[in-house]
Amino acid sequence: MKNFHVAIIGGGVIGSAIAWELSKYKLDVVVFEKGSDVASGTSKANSGVVHSGINSAPASLKARFCVAGNKMLQPLSNQLGFPLEWVGKYVVAKNEEEVKELEQLKTVGENNQVPNLKIKDGKDIKEPNVSCYKALWVPTAGIMLPYKFTIALAENAAENNVNFLIETEVKDLKKVDNHFLIKTNKGECQSQILVNSAGLNCRNIVSMLEEPDFRLYPCRGEYLVLDKNYSNLINSMIYPVPPKELGVLGVHITPTIEGNILLGPSAEFIDDHEDKRTTKEMMQTLFNEAKEIIPRLPEKAVISAYSGIRCKLASPDEGGWADYRIEESRQTAGLINLLGIESPGLTAAPAIAKEVSKMISKSIKLNPKTNFKTRKTMNKRFSQMNPKEQSDLIKKDERWGRIVCRCEHVAEAEVIEALSNPIGAQTLSAVKYRCRAGMGRCQGGFCTQHTVRIMEEQFNIDVNKIKLKSSNSKLFSGRTREIKND
Amino acid sequence: MAVEQEITCIVCPIGCKILVRATENQFELLDGNKCKKGIEYARNEALDPRRMLTSSILVKNGEWPLVSVRSSKPVPKPKILAVLKEIKKAEVNAPIKSGQLIIKNVADTKIDIVATKSIKK
Amino acid sequence: MINLYADVAVIGAGPAGLAAAISAHENGAKNVIVLDRNSWLGGILPQCIHDGFGVEETGTSMTGPEYAEMYINAAKKQGITFMNETMVLQFDKNRKIIAINKKGLHEIKAKSIVLAMGCREKTRWNIMIPGDRPSGIYTAGVAQAFINLYNIMVGKKVIILGSGDVGLIMARRLKFEGAKVLGVVEILPYASGLPRNVVQCLDDYGTPLYLNHTITYIQGRERLESVTIAQVDEKMNVIPGTEREIECDTLLLSLGLIPENELSRNVGIEIDDVTGGPIIDQYFETSLPGVFACGNCLQVYDTVDVLAMDAKKAGKYAVKNSIKQNKDINVKAGKGIRYVIPQKISEPGKIRFTSRVEKPCESPILRLVSGDKEILKKKLRWANPANMVEFDAVISAETIKSDTALEVLLDGC
Repeated sequence: MKNFHVAIIGGGVIGSAIAWELSKYKLDVVVFEKGSDVASGTSKANSGVVHSGINSAPASLKARFCVAGNKMLQPLSNQLGFPLEWVGKYVVAKNEEEVKELEQLKTVGENNQVPNLKIKDGKDIKEPNVSCYKALWVPTAGIMLPYKFTIALAENAAENNVNFLIETEVKDLKKVDNHFLIKTNKGECQSQILVNSAGLNCRNIVSMLEEPDFRLYPCRGEYLVLDKNYSNLINSMIYPVPPKELGVLGVHITPTIEGNILLGPSAEFIDDHEDKRTTKEMMQTLFNEAKEIIPRLPEKAVISAYSGIRCKLASPDEGGWADYRIEESRQTAGLINLLGIESPGLTAAPAIAKEVSKMISKSIKLNPKTNFKTRKTMNKRFSQMNPKEQSDLIKKDERWGRIVCRCEHVAEAEVIEALSNPIGAQTLSAVKYRCRAGMGRCQGGFCTQHTVRIMEEQFNIDVNKIKLKSSNSKLFSGRTREIKND
Repeated sequence: MAVEQEITCIVCPIGCKILVRATENQFELLDGNKCKKGIEYARNEALDPRRMLTSSILVKNGEWPLVSVRSSKPVPKPKILAVLKEIKKAEVNAPIKSGQLIIKNVADTKIDIVATKSIKK
Repeated sequence: MINLYADVAVIGAGPAGLAAAISAHENGAKNVIVLDRNSWLGGILPQCIHDGFGVEETGTSMTGPEYAEMYINAAKKQGITFMNETMVLQFDKNRKIIAINKKGLHEIKAKSIVLAMGCREKTRWNIMIPGDRPSGIYTAGVAQAFINLYNIMVGKKVIILGSGDVGLIMARRLKFEGAKVLGVVEILPYASGLPRNVVQCLDDYGTPLYLNHTITYIQGRERLESVTIAQVDEKMNVIPGTEREIECDTLLLSLGLIPENELSRNVGIEIDDVTGGPIIDQYFETSLPGVFACGNCLQVYDTVDVLAMDAKKAGKYAVKNSIKQNKDINVKAGKGIRYVIPQKISEPGKIRFTSRVEKPCESPILRLVSGDKEILKKKLRWANPANMVEFDAVISAETIKSDTALEVLLDGC
């Protein structure tokens, strides 16, 4: 039976960041991910915001890891090649009452060592489409594509010999002497250390070994994605002060790296932690509230919608706020739990990973690798390159000249690269999150046939096995005419 | 035995609902048409309804896996299922020229199935 | 960079692009280049294996592929140059086109450009249908491509949302290929496709048509499992209590077409918000001199015959390159009219207008006026948003000099 030093359960941004951190050392590491790709859960379904730390209670782990992680992200972006932009955030206040909240946020921020916070007059903010009384300017807030970040971490970890086992679900855990016996749907193995970064399933994992001393309160957030044609509506993130009226969400408007605009998220406590539906009520509310800021917004500006579920440790009655729990279980030695990693989880991830690595070093000696492979990706997409770069690529491989995604100008060679990823993820979503084919306004109307063609012709994937995103999300049901093999 | 049926006329987008009574070879217009063309259509539809059939046939060694085909003439409605069944079983080798005969006298209808697309090897 | 020159560059080799290219050539353009992003020519036609094309033009009812081949052969005979598998990335105000294919980047300097990019399909999110986000949801055109071109079946138990012609055609196609078609759901009180298609695609096969219904929920965490349909009132609001869940594994969306004008927008061509296409004058010229628009990227046409006729005009005028002597006057959509094309008249003459009404109406009277002067009055037997209205009118020099906008309106509705 295979024996690992560290087994990480959950290939979201936390699990991937930890895997990446550990891949720098001479360790045998495995990541179990029950989805068909990394970032299958909450890690891909959020606002992609890099938080400054103004929203986290001082002296909390949330604040500590957010501020530390925030500082680590630019160097990480340079090293791993995922896009990152420091667009800044305006928290806007409509009246003097709300300005008090701004001042509160500023104070919290300053206590958390967040630099350069400033409250500005409405007329001084550089947002021609937003009118407000005053706004708090947060320059160290930024945006990223959360799936690209997770994928970059995971793929570089895989390139450095971390084993990523996708569509592999942990079914049972046992502690035997000083190691763990892990049963999955695809086989068994052993590990010295267990890292529980299973997100919304973190409680299920704990309960396989001990009685959990916590409850989870899943809280769903819905989003609308707007067409890139509206990208010039805002420059920075626009967040209103949390409204006091019932039924009013206080819509956040977040630009994305690629020029779309996100409206949302909503916040709804739900029972089923896998219920990622979008609802008529929330989508309409998000749209209507956005129309207050952009009166002529047409319905066809909405090109997509999604929802993500926050892994909260506190109930709405308790105010819905609880700190992160990042700790070795007191009952089960060797089990490192990461519980309640909601916002600012994305920002905190690299700092959390370093912390977990430190925890592991107490049990296992961490010998740095001398041959760590740095990531050789191009930061730029084909469509962002200049004509000379594009022409050179086409000369090397003519498939760079075949554009298969009209909306995002993605080349066939990029789809092939996406499908060749070291994680082994080969779903339509795996392609989408890596090279953007399918994320445009036509939502796969043109490119889906090409991605399928490439999967069939270049990767020999059986048409009946082609999936959208998860193991049972098959796209097709056979052939129009069966091909008989003579 | 005369059967009363309502026929939706398809000659123009108004789509009049024409009430007719028909036996195997006798036709009686009852009501509903707004013009003369509708009467002719309703008669044909009641006594001998036919449909132009289009479908696909599997191609061997072609640049595309399927060739689109059509019936050379409208097919009597009662025979449609049998014709489709034969089309489903058929295979044809590339190259194919549009208009090429693929199935002669399909399902004993005296109607042929021809290719509507040219396909190279 | 590969440098090319063209008298007329046509973007799109679908029915509009083909017709425009041939017409341009016939009207004197020696060097005509047609660019298309697909490996095949004909645009959407090769996957439209049903018949009904070209009835007005040729007197026979052809299938899409046959109609396409007729035009492609004619075009090739005339020596028109085709660049397939070529994506136009952009063009600038001087009509310099940047296009890319396996040979590399191309810079094409064109004396005039004809836009014939066609349209894309409305997606689920354009109407924000709530629920899960499973596999098994396709726009009708994409399903059609898989079934007819790639030999791939999309599912077994199908519900179709939208009773436009594409949805109806697919209802029959899926039935032919052994799928269970559980019904077509339509929010209006009438089918938006032709009665011929309702009869031959639904009635013939006992496929139910749920009028005054919409889909209120999509269920299925991985692959589609069911949809919930509900009845709506005259204001298209859901009537509570009428919800019904229908088990299915495939949902086809036939919600309507959106003219594809990203290239036009990028270069600043004025777009009509109602049609979704460029604002043109009677010569099919857009707000950018030397750039003409035709086909579905100009407005969504009902039949390929009318589309081709207009495209031929666009191709002709792209060669003649009209020199505008007078200032344009605007043509406005008035009471009861959704839109009118052309939106501008630059010279006097007989002009063919195409238009759509706002709602169904029996025996309306169509009027074209300039201020309080009536230019045209036409009685229609019926009018329906799904059927384009065409009419001719002679616009005099005085009308143009008067600088008053023209207005098309509908009385008697």
